[in-house]
Amino acid sequence: MQIKKLRIDPQWQSRLESIGYGYHTMDGIPYWIDDYYYEIRNRDADLIYNATNELWQMCLDAVEYIIKNKRYQHFHIPPFMVPHIERTWNDDEPSIYGRFDFAYDSVHGKLKMLEFNADTPTSLFETSIVQWYWKNHYFPQLTDQFNGVHEQLIKSWTELKPYLKGDILHFSCAKETLEDLTNVEYLRDTALQAGIKTKLIYIDDIGWTGNSFVDIEGEPILSIFKLYPWEWMTREEFAVHIINDPNQAQWIEPSWKMLLSNKAILPILWELFPNHPHLLAAYVNEPAHLKHFVKKPILSREGANIEMYYDKQMIYHTEGEYGEEGYIYQELANLHHEDTGFSIIGSWIIGQEACGISFRESDMPITTDQSRFIPHIIRH
Amino acid sequence: MRKAATKSIKLVLITSVLASCAPQKDQQYNEDKQRIFMRADSTAAYTEVTDNYSQGHSGGGMGSALLWFMAFRHLGGGFGYANNSLHPQSVAGTNAAKAAAYQAQRGGFGRSAASTTRSSYGS
Repeated sequence: MQIKKLRIDPQWQSRLESIGYGYHTMDGIPYWIDDYYYEIRNRDADLIYNATNELWQMCLDAVEYIIKNKRYQHFHIPPFMVPHIERTWNDDEPSIYGRFDFAYDSVHGKLKMLEFNADTPTSLFETSIVQWYWKNHYFPQLTDQFNGVHEQLIKSWTELKPYLKGDILHFSCAKETLEDLTNVEYLRDTALQAGIKTKLIYIDDIGWTGNSFVDIEGEPILSIFKLYPWEWMTREEFAVHIINDPNQAQWIEPSWKMLLSNKAILPILWELFPNHPHLLAAYVNEPAHLKHFVKKPILSREGANIEMYYDKQMIYHTEGEYGEEGYIYQELANLHHEDTGFSIIGSWIIGQEACGISFRESDMPITTDQSRFIPHIIRH
Repeated sequence: MRKAATKSIKLVLITSVLASCAPQKDQQYNEDKQRIFMRADSTAAYTEVTDNYSQGHSGGGMGSALLWFMAFRHLGGGFGYANNSLHPQSVAGTNAAKAAAYQAQRGGFGRSAASTTRSSYGS
């Protein structure tokens, strides 16, 4: 796995925009990288594929363990949500997707899970569509890409369709965010291709009539995909209606994903699968034996409020608004490093199968919302 | 394993929205402008919104992406998503359910997003 450089296409921005990708540059700084890429080997892709599927099964086992043993204490989930989490788990309410973030040491073949973005993973559109079009532009032949995201989304929606409540699947995100709207509209596009009737409603336009969530036209919401964090929903005014809803609206991702999107899952996984080759040691309290570790808020997003320690001395930290709910401590991983920066791999699980990857690159060894997206190819 | 070398991607929704927003050369009208009509209800009459969708854009490119964003701007008051110059008759039509929708309480989700300045609320 290594970075390779290209002669840049002077029309790269308009080429991306022509397929509906409008957030390639943020505050004047490119978020999408067009003129270099990762070249990986088939065996790298195989390793990531197998690890992702295995970790997904381990995560499901962990959810079952937490619910069975009432191990909620470190998750700081509002107690009123626990019955809802348990019901959606016991009812097998469906999940469509998630993204594992990995540190990869390609020399030694070590792949370590950093975290699981189980509730509101983004960069789906650039992973599935933009990097595929990029590959076909620069490498129309003799290359491949670990990217079956589009087909797997349509297949997964097709499989979920019989289990959705009502005739319409609503899709929702916050207003005024082109990135989230693009991701939601892309997901809605794939649901449409699976034969599902859909409607878009912004999260703040969802209505409550007293006995039902309704959309902007007053139609009851019985099933809804939301790109909006559960931990935000559960502290907002309508939170109480989620649990009192007579329709028991089906939220996707389901509330049981609150257990997996929370970094308190990392110590649980380490407890259940100690020394697993794809896990990093993780603890609820700062362990005396770890000299190199990362302190992460259980609910932080996009690398906010991370502290990195080497020989117990803090060497990096990021600002943010998280940490109130508590922290976990995770063994420090070696990130892949090239002249261009530090990279992590995002590996998508859609339905029940790993199906594609993305690379994010940063100037420092913490991935944030400023980190760049790098496309990849598999060279035969 | 889902590594696809023969992928054929089709985007139904995104392609159609982009196509409806971006001026096309083969549908010229009034100095190469594509005429754009919108309505927010299938029983309503169309309003022409061409002027709103042609300001500063020559078609394709960032204009398309922004126009797509604009196409789903909130109109307010239960009227749905459309350009904000859409005539009210093009919004409500004869859909009685929309009137009932006014009675629902709204704004109970979304306040956490309003208090941050991030470009995405995902992870």
